[in-house]
This record gives sequence, C-alpha cells and structure tokens, in this order.
Amino acid sequence: MSVKVKRRLSAQRRIIPVVHRGKDARLDGKALQRRREEGQRASGRRRGWMTDAFTSTGISCPHRLLCDGVPAGLADADTIFALSSGHGRCGVAVVRVSGPASATALRCMARHTHLPPPRAALLRSITDPRSGEVLDRGLVLWFPAPHSFTGEDSVEFHIHGGSAVIAAVLQALGSVPGMRPAEAGEFTRRAFQAGKLGLGDLIHAETEAQRRQALRQMSGELGHLYQDWSRRLKRSLAHVEAFIDFSEDELIEDGVLDQVDSSVSDLQAEIEQHLQDERRGERLRSGVQVVIAGATNAGKSQRPAAIVSPIAGTTRDVVETAVDIGGFPVLLSDTAGLRDSRDLVEQEGVRRARERMQQADLTLVVVDSAHLPSEVHEAADFLLEHLRSVLSSPTQPETGRCLLVLNKTDLLPETQRKELDRELRGFRGLPPVCLISCQSNDGLKDFLTALQGSVKTLCGDPLSGAPTLTQARHRAHLQQCVAALAQYPRYRDSDLALAADGVRLALTSLGRITGRVGAEEILDIIFKDFCIGK
Amino acid sequence: MLTKKLPPVQSFLLLFSRRVSHLTRQQYDVIVVGGGHAGTEAAAAAARVGAKTLLVTQKIQTIGALSCNPSLGGIGKGHLVREIDALDGLCGRAGDWAGIHFSVLNRRKGPAVWGPRAQLDRQRYREFIQSELLSTPGLTVLEGSVQELHVTEPSPEEPGRHRVTGICLADGSPPISASSVVLTTGTFLCGSLFVGQTTSPGGRIGDAPSSAGMSQILRERLDLRIGRLRTGTPPRIVKDSVDLHLAQLHPPDSHPTPFSFMNTQTSCKPEDQLPCYLTYTTPGVDKVVKESLHLNCHIQEDTKGPRYCPSIESRVLRFPGRSHQVWLEPEGVTSNLLYPQGLSMTMPPDMQLRLIREIPAMHRAEIHTPGYGVQYDFVCPTQLSPSLQVKSTQGLFLAGQINGTTGYEEAAAQGLWAGVNAARWALSMPLVALSRTESYIGVLIDDLVSRGVTEPYRMFTSRAEFRTSLRPDNADLRLTLKGFEVGCVSSLRYKEAVKVKDRLQEAMATLETLTLSTASCRKKLPDIGVSENKNSSLSGMELLQYKDMSFEMLASVFPESLSRYMEFSQRLKIEAVYKPHCDLNKKEIERIQKEENMALPQDIDYFSLPVSMSKEVREILDRVRPSTLGSATRLEGVTPAAVVALFNYVQVTGRKERKRHRNQQERKEEEDEEVCKRNASLPQ
Repeated sequence: MSVKVKRRLSAQRRIIPVVHRGKDARLDGKALQRRREEGQRASGRRRGWMTDAFTSTGISCPHRLLCDGVPAGLADADTIFALSSGHGRCGVAVVRVSGPASATALRCMARHTHLPPPRAALLRSITDPRSGEVLDRGLVLWFPAPHSFTGEDSVEFHIHGGSAVIAAVLQALGSVPGMRPAEAGEFTRRAFQAGKLGLGDLIHAETEAQRRQALRQMSGELGHLYQDWSRRLKRSLAHVEAFIDFSEDELIEDGVLDQVDSSVSDLQAEIEQHLQDERRGERLRSGVQVVIAGATNAGKSQRPAAIVSPIAGTTRDVVETAVDIGGFPVLLSDTAGLRDSRDLVEQEGVRRARERMQQADLTLVVVDSAHLPSEVHEAADFLLEHLRSVLSSPTQPETGRCLLVLNKTDLLPETQRKELDRELRGFRGLPPVCLISCQSNDGLKDFLTALQGSVKTLCGDPLSGAPTLTQARHRAHLQQCVAALAQYPRYRDSDLALAADGVRLALTSLGRITGRVGAEEILDIIFKDFCIGK
Repeated sequence: MLTKKLPPVQSFLLLFSRRVSHLTRQQYDVIVVGGGHAGTEAAAAAARVGAKTLLVTQKIQTIGALSCNPSLGGIGKGHLVREIDALDGLCGRAGDWAGIHFSVLNRRKGPAVWGPRAQLDRQRYREFIQSELLSTPGLTVLEGSVQELHVTEPSPEEPGRHRVTGICLADGSPPISASSVVLTTGTFLCGSLFVGQTTSPGGRIGDAPSSAGMSQILRERLDLRIGRLRTGTPPRIVKDSVDLHLAQLHPPDSHPTPFSFMNTQTSCKPEDQLPCYLTYTTPGVDKVVKESLHLNCHIQEDTKGPRYCPSIESRVLRFPGRSHQVWLEPEGVTSNLLYPQGLSMTMPPDMQLRLIREIPAMHRAEIHTPGYGVQYDFVCPTQLSPSLQVKSTQGLFLAGQINGTTGYEEAAAQGLWAGVNAARWALSMPLVALSRTESYIGVLIDDLVSRGVTEPYRMFTSRAEFRTSLRPDNADLRLTLKGFEVGCVSSLRYKEAVKVKDRLQEAMATLETLTLSTASCRKKLPDIGVSENKNSSLSGMELLQYKDMSFEMLASVFPESLSRYMEFSQRLKIEAVYKPHCDLNKKEIERIQKEENMALPQDIDYFSLPVSMSKEVREILDRVRPSTLGSATRLEGVTPAAVVALFNYVQVTGRKERKRHRNQQERKEEEDEEVCKRNASLPQ
C-alpha cells in the first residue's frame, strides 16, 4: 500500500478558497491579460477574476470556465482536457490537452520557461499552477499544431495511474484559464474536423448509444435523476413551444405557462442543490475530509507513522495533511484535544476542532484504551457516551461517518484486548472499531483497511464507473443547464422566444449527458398534450 | 407596386392564349409543371435567374388559386413568407395586394416569433399572381395536361442516373424539350377525392384529374419511393345564413403590417379590413361525428394525415368531450362565403349540414360547397438533394406537396428554391443550397431531404434551432444579398437591401458610441429602471436592451445623432435586444456550416465502403443518402464513429479524385496542344 506524504497546508488556507493574485505571475503574459479582461467583463468592476466567476452564477466551483462560460455551444476556441487512458487503476495514465491554451497549460504545469522540442518526451515535475505544489513526476510531450492528434496545439501528460494523482492533475488543468473538461467524443470530433483521424482511432469514438448505455449503467439512482430532469425539461420546453407556435389559434390556456414557471424554478433549485450536495466527485478531486479527534492525550497526534510523520509539539490548531490512501486523496486534520480549558489559545483550538468535525466527511475518534472499563458492555456504553461528547451530537453517531480508534492497546492485557476486539466489532450503535497500538504497530493493517473502506465508500469506487472524467463533464453540463434556465424567468414576460431559448439551451446541456433531444421529440409531446387543430 | 393597375382577368387571359399561340419554339431551359403556390414561385424564380421558362398548367384560370384556407402567413409560415419576399418571390407582395384582414400573431411573445398573417381575397390573390407571371420576361404559360416525362436511359458509367430531356402533353402535340423540369403536382399526383363513401379521382373539386402517367413514371421508370398522404378542406358556408352576432368578433390590427420588404403599406385601407369570428364546437358535434363514422371512408383509411391540421373527425376522436375552436373567416371583399377554419370534414354532405348546425352561430347555416378529403402520392423527399433536385435524375426538381409538405407557404418556399436551381442547372451554373442556420427555408428543405416525412410537414418556429437569429424582421439581411448572388433577386431590391443594411449598421455603430451615465439615465429616463447601484455608464445599445426602452425614447435624449434613423426604430430595438443572443449562437452556427460544406458523393456504395461501420448504419445511409456530412450527423441512428469514418473516406477519395482530375486535365491540355499544333500546321 503506498501511502505517502504529499503536502502541508495551513487550516486557514483551506477554509477560504481564494486564488492569490501573486500566482498570476507564474502564467505567461497573455493568459494573465485574458484573465483580467474576463474578470472585468464579468462584473464591470475590478475584482479578483475568481470571485467574479463565483458571484456571477452564485455557485462556487473550482473551474471558473464552467461557471460563466458560454451556456451551450461548447466551441472549438476552448481548450479541452481529459484522461485519455482507460479508467480504473493502471500503471500510467495519459491526460490529453488540446486547443490554443495547451502551451499555457504546459508552461504552468511543467514549469517550462521555453516550450520543449516538439514530440519529445521529457521527464518533469508536474505542479499545480495555483499552489506550486508538486503533484507528480511524469513525462510531458508537446505537439504543436498541426502535427497532433487533433490538429491543434496539444500536450500529453504521462503520469502515475493513481486516481488521486489523476484527479489532482485534472483539477489543476481545470484551474488554467481557457481550459475545460472535454465532452464525450470531443477529441475525436476535433481530430475529424481537422482531417486527422486514422481508422484505428474509430474504436474510441464515443457513440450516442454508448453514451446512453453509460447513463443506464451509471449508478442507477443518478441515471434516474438525470432522466427525470430531462423528461421534465422536455415537457416544459414542449409547453412553451406549444404556447409560442399555437396559442394564437388554439385553445392553449395561459395556465400552461404557469406550470412551466414552477417546473423551471423547481428544476433550477433541484439541479443547484444537486450540484452543491453531490460531493462524491468533489471528494475525489479535493480529498475526503478526515478529522482526527478525541480527548487530550489519547494519542491523536501519535498517529501511525505509516500515515504521516509525527508532528512535534502539542496540537493546538488544526494541522492538515494531504495523504493518499489506497489511491484516494485524503485531507487529514489533526485537532486539539477536546477538553474544557482556561487557556485562551487552547479554547480557540478546541473551537476550531469542533468546527472542523462539523465539516468532516469522516471522523476518527481516538480513545486511550487504558481508560476503558474492563467489562466489555461497560466499555461499549463508555464508548457510546464518549462518542456523543466528542462529536457533540445528542443522538447516536452516524456509523458510516465515524471510525473508533482504540489506541495504546499495548497497555492492555492480552485477554482484554482480544475480548474487546471480538465483542465491540459490530456492536449495536457503535461505528467500526479498530484496536491499534502506535507503539507496537499492532492492528495497524486492519485499521488501514477499515479506513480505506470508509474512504472508498465516501468517494464512490472509480473501478465501477468513470467518476473523475464524467463527473467533471457532468458538472460542467449541469452548471450550464442551471445557468441557461435562469434565462427563462428573466425573459418570461418580455420576450417568450428568448425565455424559451433558455429552456432549449438547458435541455441541450442536459442532453449532452442524457442524449440529444430533437425538435421532433418536442413536437411529439406538443401533439400528445394539446389538441392542435388549425 | 400597389398603385399598379392590374389588367382585368378577361383581357389577360386573352393575352395568355395569344402567347400560347405564338408558341413556335418547342424548347425551353426550364419547364414548370403546375400552377399552384410552388409552381408559380418556381416559374417566376427560374425566369428571374434568366432561364427561358415554360409554365404548364391544366387551367390558366386557376393559377394562383387558394385551394383551401383564404389566408397567408402565421407563426412560422409568416417567417417563410418574409423569406420568400426577401428572395424576390411573389407571395408576399400578392398577400399585401389581396389581404383584407392583417394581424401580427404572437405580438406579446417577442419579435423572433411574431407571425405576420393576413386573410385574403381569393380573387384578388389570383389576379395578382396571374398578372405578375404575365409581366415576367422570359416566362411563357401554357394550358395543358402533362402526359409524360422524358428522361434518358442511364449511361453504363453511372447506373441509375437519368437525365431529364423534356415533357409530352396529353393532347398529342409534339414533345417540348428542356434541360430542367420542376414538378409541382400538389394533390393531383394520383389524387383521389373523398366525400362520405364516394371516391372520385382528382386533386381539387371542380378540376379534372391529371393523368396517372406521371406517378407511374416516377415510380417505375425512375424507381423513386412513393408514399401516400391525405388532407382535407372544410365546407364553405353561405355568409348570410350565419348568425355572426352569436360568435366572437376578432378585429384585425388597426395598422396593417405588410408582408413585403418593398411595401410600406397594404393595398387594403386599415378601415376597410374585414373581421374574423370565433366560435366553438358543442357536444352535438361529437355526436354527429360518431354517428357518421361508418359513412366516412377517408377517416377509416390508414393513410397518414397531419396531426396539426386534423379534420373535425380526428379531433373529436383524439380529444373527445372537448370544445374545439372554429374560426369563421371571410373569403373576400365581394364574396358571400365564410371559411370555417377547424371544420375540415369528409362525411356525407347531409351529415356535414347536420354537424355545422350543431354550432349555435350556424344553427341555420347553408353549405355552399361540402368539405372533402384528398389523398395523393408524394415522393419520399430523402431522395432529393438540398437543391431539391432528384438525386437519381439530373434536371428533375420537385417542390410542394409532392415532397410531403402541407401549406401554401411551405410550397411557395420550395417552389422558389427549386425554380432557382432548375434555372441554374439549365444555365450550367452550380446548384445552391440554403443553410438551416440562415433561414426557415433552409430548415424546411434540410428537414425534408435529410429526415424525410411521416406526415404532411408543416413549418413551426420550434423546428428552427437558431430561432432568435432567424426573425421575420431580418429576412432581408439574411437572404436578399445571397439571393442576388444566385440570381433570383432584382437589382432594384438588391440596392434597397444594401441601403437598409448599411443604414442599420451605421445606426448600430452610432448606438455603440453613444453613452449615458447611469445617473443621467435615471434622471432623463426614469421609467426604464436602470438599477441604482450601477455607477458606470451605459451605451445606447445597452440602454435599448432595457425592456421598457424604445428607440423613440432614446432618440429624444440624443436627437441630433439618432433622429435620422427613426424609420428603423423598430428594427433597431429588435437588433439591440437580440444581439447578445445571436452572438452566442455564432460559434455553433459556424460549426454546423462547416459540416454542411462537406459534400458526400451521391454515388457512394455504402454497403461496400471499406470502413468499419455497422450494417444498420450502412442501411440508413444507403436509404437516405445524405448530401452533406452535416445532414449525415443529424440522421437518427448514425453514430459519431460512422460520421468520422465517412469523413475519412471522403477525404481520402477526394484527394485521389483531385489527383486523377489533375492528371486528366494535364493529359487533355497536352492533347489540346497537339491539336492546336496540328491545326496550326494545316493550311488555312
């Protein structure tokens, strides 16, 4: 199991996701200029371009282009990127970039001052352009136009195949101005438009049928959800179109539009909710938030050396570490021991620890096993009580979001240890329990397996589908969908053609996930729902 | 235009026959068969392009007849009329001349979907069309029934590829030859009429059926796939027998909006316009329909009828227990007839009378002519190229109902485009296509030739992807200049369009430069609602985008720069509001146009194409034979992978082709040189 230290970030830094202007200096002059222009255009005022992107749609997202980009017509002027090797675990992953900003991407990700020679593999550190942090060491290749797969400027990153590395690289690419995740089959389309495609590549051209298939296979619930949206959106559009094309001569009551109004605003709210709530993809990109909590001196900061190197000193603030657990990115937060204290600094530490636990995806509650009552049932009751106080939750803790770690088991007699291990596993109301000793490394393997299992559940299993790529793409389309829907209420009373255009764009964007919807399909709904007789 | 005196019908019928008698030359560039909406536009357009054109019709008197409803335009259809007019077609101006009730539909729904519409005087419409055709140079009209279409045997090099050579009339006169023939047979291609249980051959009541030969030639000789469609028309009601006070009065617009870009007013004075009336069906109507079903062959046949222009029978059957609208429309200034829109029916005449009398306003109404149904042959339009030429037969063009459409405007639009291409073919000019990104006509033709029809095709605005760009107000900017290039627009109209375009551009540029601080906006224009927290300034363009801001209001703030553009006030307001949306569409439009410009050879054998492609896809492609890569991508069932394969194949073969062509050229040049040398050596 490869678990290694990746980076250290201050807690503050994670809480406020601001891109520092100073980082712009790392980009080339043109990109910088464009960033500023775009930022100013978005609001008409001078502010950070990132904040502009956020406020312009009201949705916070890591890819600014996805926020305020063109609603539907994903045009070729964009630079696209995607994982072009297969999904799932693999030794080497290839991330492809194509489009005019490819050179910028290469410069800021591989720190090239000059572009490398064309079509030569170079071993480079691949870094996050925003933080400067090294994501991986891999090969980069530069294919200037027209000698590339797509005929455009292209770059390939050959990186290590862990999903954390892939996710980090894709996320970093998304932060480069002018870049967005590719649509299904978009590389192929560009290649074909440039007359570049060899017959062998056809195998990979994604077809509409395959896309539908993928949707069907997509974790059933999500597929149903998207299909349901698509159905409702189609119906809304059909009713607006019917009102436009037939209401002058036919009996189509104004009430039809009222239904559409509520349907559109419901959809808007639901998709927005989904974009905010649906954190799986985000977890995979930005890491699962795991918080280590417990009473003072339970040995929280003496976590197994296999996870992180020991951090010296008493932990008073939240100390955050990014680690890779079984290929998943995890942000491990070490918190101050929870106790009532008169020490102001320590009080603040405890406050932050509690705040962090509120946001956590997974909390590791560390207990000094020496404090446990020797009788097993009493021990269980003690643990339940302890969990409630640590998580400050009046009800039973959600077992999927919590892992109980009994530390310092080397201090227990062998028989008690075995009994605890046997009896507490699967004990009603208790989260998974791991007995470990940081001293003797006992139980470490089981603990890591349990932790990995929890993280995997939280992220979704990349082997069962293609979360990173499709998630990013789906997110982009859903965001465009929501943005387009906003056009409907804006023009509802002044210009129904423009209002309908919003619904059309929304359906086009959603259709990029659920399949294209043609005019005939809309007409079918119109003629089914209305008696059109002129 | 409107002040022009039309010659009385009698005298110009004489003129026609004189022309016919002067028919000594039996050779034309273009022959148009049929004198309906498609045929008249086709003949006029072909003549405008410069081809020697002959229009053959069964009865000169019925040229330009409105066989069904006495109205033109509407939502989607009005867009087509504006585009036909922008291409210098007839129907827009004819509508302005013959209109007796003008209204712009969808006024409250945004200029992109406004639907200019007019009730017409049938007689005046016919007069205008006939007089226009008469005064078109290079156009001859001949009365007659076409017996046969002459085509060549396909050459062994190009199997299945015929070429048109002319036609033969039923009266036994010598054949007339032409390079192009446009067929606009309407409902007459193997047409049969239905009233109750009786069936008779024909395409329109009161007119002789056309010969069955044409359908047979298309089917057997040219091996075209033929389908059958049905339509119908309501009974005509005697106006005096209707109690109009029992129906709702629907007045026209107080300021009639003309169809044509060349007209600033309509021929009918605003105050002389006639109203329409609205009434509703009752449960008694349902009862009569149900009782008469067993007496109604038309409704029992399973031929495809339109969903959106159904007979009262199918409306009652599909939506029972509902009240349906019936519009009572005037047929003309002097006519004593009303057209009951929505009551198309095919039951026996006595039942028809019972039915209409179930409606209160018509409780004692008399029927002048009973309603009837028509079934007719159509050619599956996927066998046409976007120029409306039959793919397998050079020089043969089809337009109107023969392609599976319904509606005057749809027919006229195809007629015009088929006429343009027929003339260009005859004059050895390359054929031209309109893109669906630039016009409703393009949408119409692309839908027909790349998707085909399963029911009579009618235009709706929802069919146009780029509806916000394809507006009735800007049809001239979109099409007139292009029309001039292809040859169907007169220089007079072209100059006018160029002038308008320049003036609009100038005005838009001026609007961009004018600025007003938000503070003074709030002071000078308090009603438009410029938000308080904006502290910058707004351009004239941005100000016009405000909902309650009119050009007139803006002009009152900037009189010296804007008052000279007052004639364009409405157009400028629309342009300003739609500009951001049209700009957004631009990239997608360019992408589609790129794909549309990649032509696919018509002789590809999809089954033996050496690429990886599924059998299903091959079958679809073989059946439809798309003309461009663009239309291939829009075909249902054709996967992106297949499109890529096609593209590759075309690229590779295209290169080879060009190489071969170059070699041939070189060889030919060498030969020519040799010939020249030989000739030079010959004694003069």
